[in-house]
Amino acid sequence: DALLGCHRSYRSRPTHGIGKFKYLLPKEVPKKRKEKVQMKEISAGTEYQYGDINIQMTSNDLCLVEHFAQYVHRLCNRLSIRVNESYAMPTKTNEVLFLEERGSKMQLDAVLTTHQRVVQIRGLSSTFAPILLEIIQSNQPEGVHLLMKQHTEADFKSRLKSRPELEELLAQMS
Amino acid sequence: SAAPRRPWKVFGAMCLLRLPRITQPLEKEEEEMAALMAQIEMEKSHYSDHEIRKLEEEEQLKRRKESLYDEDEAPGKTVIMAQDLEEKWEQKFLRFKAAPRITDADKSNDRTSLNRKLDSNLMLLVKQKIGNQELWLLPQVEWQPGETLRSTAERAMATFLGDHIQAKVLGNAPHGIYKYKFPRAIRTENNVGAKVFFFKAFLQSSDLSQAELKSDYLWVTKKELGDYLKSEYLKKVNRFLLD
Repeated sequence: DALLGCHRSYRSRPTHGIGKFKYLLPKEVPKKRKEKVQMKEISAGTEYQYGDINIQMTSNDLCLVEHFAQYVHRLCNRLSIRVNESYAMPTKTNEVLFLEERGSKMQLDAVLTTHQRVVQIRGLSSTFAPILLEIIQSNQPEGVHLLMKQHTEADFKSRLKSRPELEELLAQMS
Repeated sequence: SAAPRRPWKVFGAMCLLRLPRITQPLEKEEEEMAALMAQIEMEKSHYSDHEIRKLEEEEQLKRRKESLYDEDEAPGKTVIMAQDLEEKWEQKFLRFKAAPRITDADKSNDRTSLNRKLDSNLMLLVKQKIGNQELWLLPQVEWQPGETLRSTAERAMATFLGDHIQAKVLGNAPHGIYKYKFPRAIRTENNVGAKVFFFKAFLQSSDLSQAELKSDYLWVTKKELGDYLKSEYLKKVNRFLLD
């Protein structure tokens, strides 16, 4: 019975609710997973600023690409360019088959993986953009392809997975 | 907004860069560091599939040699051994020959060819006649009213290298400026001096098979610029060149 005895204060006692603390914590609003609206801004004029720009680095070597992406990110931090996001695209695996026809037909397989990292930048002024491009280009490691392009909705959509069942149901409804 | 009487003549010049093709050799500390990191990673890493397969097959071979009863089980299993694969790959690797890194350093410093110094930037220098002197300069052409400075620079490039160059100009803003005053003999009210605006461009394709115009041209690295350019000019040009 000593185990079952609980020392909870009864509601009329002044010590009621003595252990409560949740009202002291800051209020947390549960964040719903929503699609983020993309914002694009091009202000023409003397200070020509680019909108969102994607710097895409592709390579077969994972470590190289990751380190290069980190380097680019840190460079932009130091040059106080705002970096929106830096993410990775899914890796693509290619199987290379050699068909050697000397004597017996041999098939040598090689499995290559292609990795892609993207750093998204906003607020690049056009006087500075060529300098940045030159710095990145001159520091490119071997085997890494560099691509700088403006961010479009298609790029954004390529990161999301399509849900075929949802689309089927929607098509059935309408 | 051009004032009717501009005392300065405006020129647009193009600095054509050929990007390096190979990475620069590592410094001594970098090499030591790379070797050390590679060794650490090798010792920390796990066995890959291929290595596990190889170890298993070695064990099987050993067992077969010591005791003879495994012979009946083995024949259908491993047609290609991992060891054979490795040897095949080694042979293929030995057959591959990488291109030489030092191509035209052998060619006794031929500064007109593009194949020289594959690990650093090469710039185009042209001999031009200014006033009564023949000087080595970055190709420049006078600005004509009504065209943008960038197109002036592109025209400068086109006059010296022909039309079909695949060069990419970076941006519309000039990278540097050099202004000088004419010697007193030529100075008039209208022409006090000249301002040269430099633009940068990257050479995309590496073959220059079209006709070069009469003036001499050179492809030089940043360090060798000092041999050819005048000191004031060199100072201003060096300001916008990365190494």
